[in-house]
Amino acid sequence: MSKTILIGSPNSGKSLLFNKLTGLNQKVANFPGITVSISSGTNLADHENLLMDFPGVYSLRTISAEEKVSVEAFYAGLNDPQVSSVICVVDTTRLEKGLIFALQVINACAEFGKPVVIAANMMDVLDSHAMDMDISGLSEALQVPVVGISAKSGTGLNQLQQLISQHRDLPTAFVSGIIASDDSVVHRQAQQLAQSYGPKGDLLINAQTKLDRFFLHSWFGGASFLVIMYMLFQSIFTWAAPAMDAVESSLQMAAAWLVPMLPSGGVSDFVSDALFGGIGAFLVFVPQIFVLTLVVGMLEDSGYLARAAVICHKPLRFFGLTGKSFIPMLSGVACAIPAIYAARTVDSPRKRWLTYLAIPLMPCSARLPVYSLLIAAFVPSSYAFGGLIGWQGLAMVGIYLFGIVCGLLVTAVVSRTNAAMQTDLPFVLEMPPYRLPSWRPLVRNAWNRSKHFVTKAGKVIFSVTVVIWVLGYFPNHGTALGESWLGQMGQFIEPLFAPFGLDWKYGVAILSSFLAREVFVGTLGTLFGIEGGEENIISLAEHIQNSGLPIGAGFALLVFFSIALQCVSTLAVLRRETNSWRLPAQLFVSYSIFAYSAAWVTFVVVQAIAA
Amino acid sequence: MTLWDLQQGATATVDSFGAALQGDYRIRLSELGFHPGEQIACVLSPNLGAPKLYRVNNTVYSLDDSVATLINLA
Ligand SMILES: Nc1nc2c(ncn2[C@@H]2O[C@H](COP(=O)(O)OP(=O)(O)OP(=O)(O)O)[C@@H](O)[C@H]2O)c(=O)[nH]1
Repeated sequence: MSKTILIGSPNSGKSLLFNKLTGLNQKVANFPGITVSISSGTNLADHENLLMDFPGVYSLRTISAEEKVSVEAFYAGLNDPQVSSVICVVDTTRLEKGLIFALQVINACAEFGKPVVIAANMMDVLDSHAMDMDISGLSEALQVPVVGISAKSGTGLNQLQQLISQHRDLPTAFVSGIIASDDSVVHRQAQQLAQSYGPKGDLLINAQTKLDRFFLHSWFGGASFLVIMYMLFQSIFTWAAPAMDAVESSLQMAAAWLVPMLPSGGVSDFVSDALFGGIGAFLVFVPQIFVLTLVVGMLEDSGYLARAAVICHKPLRFFGLTGKSFIPMLSGVACAIPAIYAARTVDSPRKRWLTYLAIPLMPCSARLPVYSLLIAAFVPSSYAFGGLIGWQGLAMVGIYLFGIVCGLLVTAVVSRTNAAMQTDLPFVLEMPPYRLPSWRPLVRNAWNRSKHFVTKAGKVIFSVTVVIWVLGYFPNHGTALGESWLGQMGQFIEPLFAPFGLDWKYGVAILSSFLAREVFVGTLGTLFGIEGGEENIISLAEHIQNSGLPIGAGFALLVFFSIALQCVSTLAVLRRETNSWRLPAQLFVSYSIFAYSAAWVTFVVVQAIAA
Repeated sequence: MTLWDLQQGATATVDSFGAALQGDYRIRLSELGFHPGEQIACVLSPNLGAPKLYRVNNTVYSLDDSVATLINLA
C-alpha cells in the first residue's frame, strides 16, 4: 500500500479535497487551523493508495508546540518509504501566501527525494470572477507539476488522481532547481511567482472588504452579531422542536404498541421503564445536537466566525481570553469535547489554558435535557408582556447566560491572580473570504456528530440506565422503590442533598449524572417509571411536579448543573490534550465545590423569595 | 510610526520590528507577509479599539494593538 500526504496552509481547502478523494467525511470549516489531527482514508480512485490529511500549518518553521507536532509528523512522513508523493494544496486566491509555504514544502521534499504535486485549489472562485492564472507557467517555474483544481466542484481531481497513481507506480526521486533556504529569498521568490503567474486584480479582496466594513461596523456589525447569535439560539429551540416532538411521539407510539405484547412482569417493566423511559428521554435531544452542529458549522464555513472573533477580541481580552477563544467557547455551547479540540486554534498556550477553564462552564447541549426538564417542571408555561416573552424561554436564556458569565468570571479572576497567565503571544488572525457554505459536508458533519452522540454517549447511558433499573427493580420486583438496593444507596447519600429539599431519588440521579449530565433525565425517568408502575404514563416533568419538590430545589438543581463538571468524556479529552490528569482533576474538584455552594445559596435565596 | 497608527485606507511600507517582538514570531510575521520592505494597507479600523484589518498582497489579517504597535513603518 502506498501513501500520499496532503499538506497545505490553513484554510487552503485541504480537508474538502481529502473528503472528495476519500469519500470520508472529515469536518471542513472555514476557520484557519481547524484540522488538528492526521486523518487518513483510502483513495476512492485507487484502493491501494492511502491519503493522509496533515494539519494545516503556515510554515515549516514552527512557533508553537502543536505546529511542532504537525511538522515533525510531516518530516516523519517524508522519511517513510511507503509515502510515494506529497500533494501541497495552495489557495490560488491567496497565491503568494500559499507559495511561501509551497516553496518550503518543495525544498523539504527535494531533500527527502519525494515527488510533490501542487494542487492549485479554488479554481471555481477564479472562474466565477472571470479571473485566470498561468498554471503551466507556474509549473515550469517551480519544476513540479501544478494541477488547477476545485475541491468544491471537482474540476481537475481526475488529473490529480492520475498523478498520484503515476507516482505510485513509478517512484521518481525528485530534484528541484529552485531551492533556497534563506527566508527572504523564499519570500521574494513567492512574490515574483505570484506576480508573474497568479491571478490579477483586486476583485475578490474588494468584495471581502466591503462585507467586512459591514460586519465589523460599530453599529451594523454589533447589531448583526446579536442577530446572528439570537438566530443561533432560536434555531436550537424552534427548528429542532418539531423533530423533538416527532421523536417523542414516535417513541410513545412504539411503547404503546410494543409493551402490551410483552409478557407482563420483569420483561415488560424493563422495556417500558428502562428502554422507553430512560433511553427515550435522551434520544429526544438528538435533533437539537444536529441543528446546533449544523448552524455553528454554517457560521464557520461562511467565514463569519473569524469576524466574530475580531468583534469579541477586545471584550474577551478583558476576561483574560482572546478573540480566538470565541470559537471554542461557542462550540462549547454545543459540546465541550469538540470545543476542547477547537481550543488548539488558540495559539497562545496560556490563553488556551484559560479557554479550557471556561469551556466546561459553557452551557453544553448535554445540559439542555436537564434544563428543559427542570424548567418544564418549575417555570410556568405562561407568557409575559402580552404574549411576547414566554417565562420558560426566558428562564432558558437566563440559565445559559449564567453559565457563560460564570465561565468568564473564572477566567477573569484566574488571569488576574495568576502571574504566569499574564504574558502572551500576539493576536494575528487570517480573515478567510466570505463563502456560501457547502451543504453536504455540513449536513454530514452534523449527522456524524449526532450519530457519535447516540453511539458513544448512548452506550454509557444505556449501561447506566440498565444498572440503575436493575438496582431499583430488585430485590422486590419494583413494588417498593424505597426498599430497593438503589433506594438504600440513595438514602445513604441523601444527607448531602437534603439541604436542597431533594430526596434520595434525585441523589441517585445526580450521582449517575457525573458520568454524563443527560443521564440525570434518563435515571429520573427510570426511577419514576418504576415507582409509577402500571398507571398511565405521564411525562417526567409532571412526575416531578407531583413529587412536591420545593421551587428552590428546582433552581438549585439548575445552578448545580450549569457549573458542575459532570462529564467523563470532557475530563478524558482534557487529560489527553494537556497530557496530564492535573488540570481535569483540579477542574473537577473545584467546579464540584463551586456548584454545590452556588446551589446552596440559590436554594436559600429562592426559598426566601418564594416564602 | 507603527502599523497600529496607520489610518484606514492608507498604505505604508514595513521598516522593522519592535525590540519586544520575539524572534520566532518575527519569522512568522515575515512569512505571513509582514516583511520589512513589504507594502501593507489598513483596510479596516473598527472603533472601540477592536483589532484592525490589514491587507498584505491578497490576504487580510486582523492584528490587535499588542502586535501592530511592534511593527514599525518606514
Ligand atoms: N469555492 C470553493 N471553496 C472551497 C474549495 N475548497 C475548499 N473550499 C472551502 O474553503 C474552506 C476551507 O476548507 P477546508 O477544507 O476546511 O480547509 P483546510 O485547508 O483543511 O483548512 P484547515 O482545516 O483550517 O486546516 C471551506 O469553507 C471549504 O468549503 C474550492 O475549491 N472552492
